[in-house]
Amino acid sequence: MKKTMLLITVLACALASVAQKKTTTSGTINFDATTPIDALPKAENKTVIAAVDTKKGTVAFEVVMKNFAFTNPRIQEHFNGPRWLDTEKFPTATFNGNITNLSAINFKKDGTYEADVAGDLTIHGVTKPVTTKGTVVVTGKTVTTNAEFDIKLADYNVDGPQIGAGKIAKEPKITVAAIMQ
Amino acid sequence: MGVEKKPVNLWVKRILVTITVIALLGVGVIWYIFSEKFTDTVDVTADYTVNALDLIHEFEKDDAAANKKYAEKIVVVNGRVTEIEAADTTVNIKMTDTTSGSYVIFAFQQQHLAEAKSLQEGDSVGIKGSCSGGAYSKILETEFITFKRAALNK
Repeated sequence: MKKTMLLITVLACALASVAQKKTTTSGTINFDATTPIDALPKAENKTVIAAVDTKKGTVAFEVVMKNFAFTNPRIQEHFNGPRWLDTEKFPTATFNGNITNLSAINFKKDGTYEADVAGDLTIHGVTKPVTTKGTVVVTGKTVTTNAEFDIKLADYNVDGPQIGAGKIAKEPKITVAAIMQ
Repeated sequence: MGVEKKPVNLWVKRILVTITVIALLGVGVIWYIFSEKFTDTVDVTADYTVNALDLIHEFEKDDAAANKKYAEKIVVVNGRVTEIEAADTTVNIKMTDTTSGSYVIFAFQQQHLAEAKSLQEGDSVGIKGSCSGGAYSKILETEFITFKRAALNK
């Protein structure tokens, strides 16, 4: 009997732990480095792994860099190449952070909440702190998050003649969206 | 006494014409390169045809070797659809190894998005796409292999 109770308790704890962690493997990140003289450096990655722990407030993303899809083959090649993101050497980008105003978000009540997020973004093998504001939409058991921020390519040791020539924005806009369950 | 006409230097003329032709060719090449778009995946010959579970096991066994073999290659993956997951305004198709949790995920090419939406869990399909390689997810603690510009292999 004691063993059964213990098993039930362990199972209940495990289920609770799963329930508080919302994930998706189809998060979306849009990368927009367009400039007035070049509209091509723009891509979308729709297979981003994202997770949010609704109790602890932790937020995490994992991105396979090669899965950013450009419309133009040449730009895709440049993006992956050693003079830009060098995706052969640095195949993934990650974000690990926290919702710093967790008390302002009620994950048990449907609604739209403003979230302050702070954490470490690793791109091209370089980790830098990032803070941004985002939106959290709670609909039943689904949590949808959206955020938008700029990054300075130079901060992540990404440079090259095209950036210098103004064909690629020095501070691309990053838009993140994830529907997690 | 008539005005003496200065003879036009034939070589200058030739050089100017050559420069103009080269400049026009250059503009044409640049225009072609930057207006080029990826070919419809359906029309691209596949480099490999594999079974989804075999592909997953290959990546699980030796991630580096599998990435070298498949990354940026056009691959047809045959398998059973285990999940259709919302991805912003569209859906991605997943084939998962239910034993390990490792999975292959396909983001469809713009002109083939409707095909992804037409699929159902349990369907046995062949999907052709550009393999972006695989990695181990620290979040999910599983291997995952991603594809872009995917389409149903007909």
